[in-house]
Amino acid sequence: MSTQPFDTPPYGVPRTDPLGDPRTVAGSGPSANGEALLELESVSRVYGEEVEVYALRDVSLRILPGEFMSIVGPSGSGKSTMLGLLGVLDLPTAGTIRIAGQDVSTLDDTTRSKLRGESIGFVFQQFHLIPHLTALGNVETALLYRDIRPKDRRERAHEALSQLGLAARAHHRPVQMSGGEQQRVALARAIVTNPLMILADEPTGALDSANAAHVLEIFRSLESPQRAVVMVTHDPTVAETARRKVSMRDGRIVADELREDVPA
Amino acid sequence: MSQLGDLVGVAWSGLKARKIRTLMIMLGPIIGVAAMVSAVGLTESAKGALQAQLAQLGTNLVIVQAGGTFGSQNPTLPSNSVQRVENMSTVTSAAATSNLSGVIAVPVQGASTYYEAFPVPVRAADDNLPSVLQVPTIDGRWLNPTDNRLHLRSVVLGEGIAKQYGYLPGETRTIRLNNTNFGVVGVLGPVALDPELDNAAFVTQWAAKHVLGTNGRPNQLYVRAIPGTTQQTANALPTAINLGSSTQVSTQIPTDVLQAAAQANKTLQQVALLAGLLALTVGGIGIANVMSISVIQRSSEIGIRRAVGHSRSKIGAQFLLEALFVGVLGGIIGAVVGVGVVYAVSAIAGWVVVIAYREIPIWMGLALLVAVIAGLYPSIKAARLEPLETLRLG
Repeated sequence: MSTQPFDTPPYGVPRTDPLGDPRTVAGSGPSANGEALLELESVSRVYGEEVEVYALRDVSLRILPGEFMSIVGPSGSGKSTMLGLLGVLDLPTAGTIRIAGQDVSTLDDTTRSKLRGESIGFVFQQFHLIPHLTALGNVETALLYRDIRPKDRRERAHEALSQLGLAARAHHRPVQMSGGEQQRVALARAIVTNPLMILADEPTGALDSANAAHVLEIFRSLESPQRAVVMVTHDPTVAETARRKVSMRDGRIVADELREDVPA
Repeated sequence: MSQLGDLVGVAWSGLKARKIRTLMIMLGPIIGVAAMVSAVGLTESAKGALQAQLAQLGTNLVIVQAGGTFGSQNPTLPSNSVQRVENMSTVTSAAATSNLSGVIAVPVQGASTYYEAFPVPVRAADDNLPSVLQVPTIDGRWLNPTDNRLHLRSVVLGEGIAKQYGYLPGETRTIRLNNTNFGVVGVLGPVALDPELDNAAFVTQWAAKHVLGTNGRPNQLYVRAIPGTTQQTANALPTAINLGSSTQVSTQIPTDVLQAAAQANKTLQQVALLAGLLALTVGGIGIANVMSISVIQRSSEIGIRRAVGHSRSKIGAQFLLEALFVGVLGGIIGAVVGVGVVYAVSAIAGWVVVIAYREIPIWMGLALLVAVIAGLYPSIKAARLEPLETLRLG
């Protein structure tokens, strides 16, 4: 199986930053000067063996602490593959992915899982809460197998739920909660480990406009100088809330914008 | 240790969340272990009762029966058979009885028609019959030399006949044998090794010969052999009795029948054990099936757990531990059910409960092993699930 793409794009895709930020896009991305939380270097992801299908083709991207980023693109543009790779749920066919400078391809599953659990918090479009667990139990799931005492684990989970206004819902199961509340529980599960990066997949896709606005507001509030927030979406409204917007098409990054009109 | 605690908690909550499903897959180990525990327990309890009975009766009794050529009625043994038998080196004691086939026993006046139609067997018996049988009288006394010497017309009733006659303990009762009054002096206890004796009335050899007019030749001998020589004695008895004459003699060791019954129970036990093993195996296949389906149904949960940092090995261990819990719990419940069945049946049958407690951990271990083996495939399947395929991103 070939690990090389059919054709190699020119190094760097012209970026559209009106301020002429010196950072390039596909080569190193905006904020190239800082220490990247996560770095994709010439990453390709090919599916199939007899017939190779490129989901991602020679993509490079750097995500820095404090960034609030959206990844946009139509269906089949490679957003989901990108999310899987950024979240270390998948490995590239070619290229390198580094988290805090560490090449994830060299790690075994246990170490990679530990790294994922400690560094990345996921939020999904369909919430993906475990149905038989309470809100508290769902949040606690992210703290399992970390040698944390059950009492401390429960306290931390409670704290995360309280932070998102769900203290009263701690002992409710997902079916007893609204969509907005479920998504907030998912958010609590994502932040309870205090991760370096929050990866969200269409986080407002299953919500009505009021709940969507509330969830986006929470996402904004999660910004911190140490943490990056990455949202994958095809909803332009959601994408506009992010200061950095990465556009994808046909498995490639076609634009990487820094929007000055969005407050940092 | 804490991680193991987390794993146990996760596996337990997974089982608890689907109680009906958990119970359904637990049925295999429950039925399997219950079948095996109760199979062994019931057969051992039954055998225990038989063995207790055998120990009480002694396995060294031989019953000698006079045989006859075809068509001969009431075949008899030589009149000195008891002496011949007692001369044998392996015999400790012997007693004879004679069937008094022409004698009609009537317990109350006016009932002769009925008892002529359904005659009660009357036997002449030696004084030492109860001691040879090792069966005491349950009321009054047995026939003794005084009855013979003083020509007393005494009769002892078998336990069954005493009931049939409505005889009350200590009652002064006279019954008529061939129109001669005989006084009831006692009731013989139940004779497990020859229940025919329970339904007979016994008179002295003197009365048989001189009052009832029979020839006094014995039809049966009850012989006690030195323990360990029972079969050998039984084999030698016909020769000792007929001494080369044409008298037909058959011997029987009544406890052999009971021992054969115990042996039959052993076969039943093996069949039940096999059925238990089969239930366990089928239960194991059920666990593998249901858990495999469960892995597919829970793929989203697996994806989430992988996303929040649970490794493949943790996911695999979670499902394997669920199977292990099914095996452990199924084994415990099965053992309790099995023991309960043994107690219930023993109570109904009047057996002394014998439970092979030392074997129960073996059956439970077997259930656990089957459950874990059955859980291996679903666990590997769960561990190999790709989170990206289960989370439906984008």
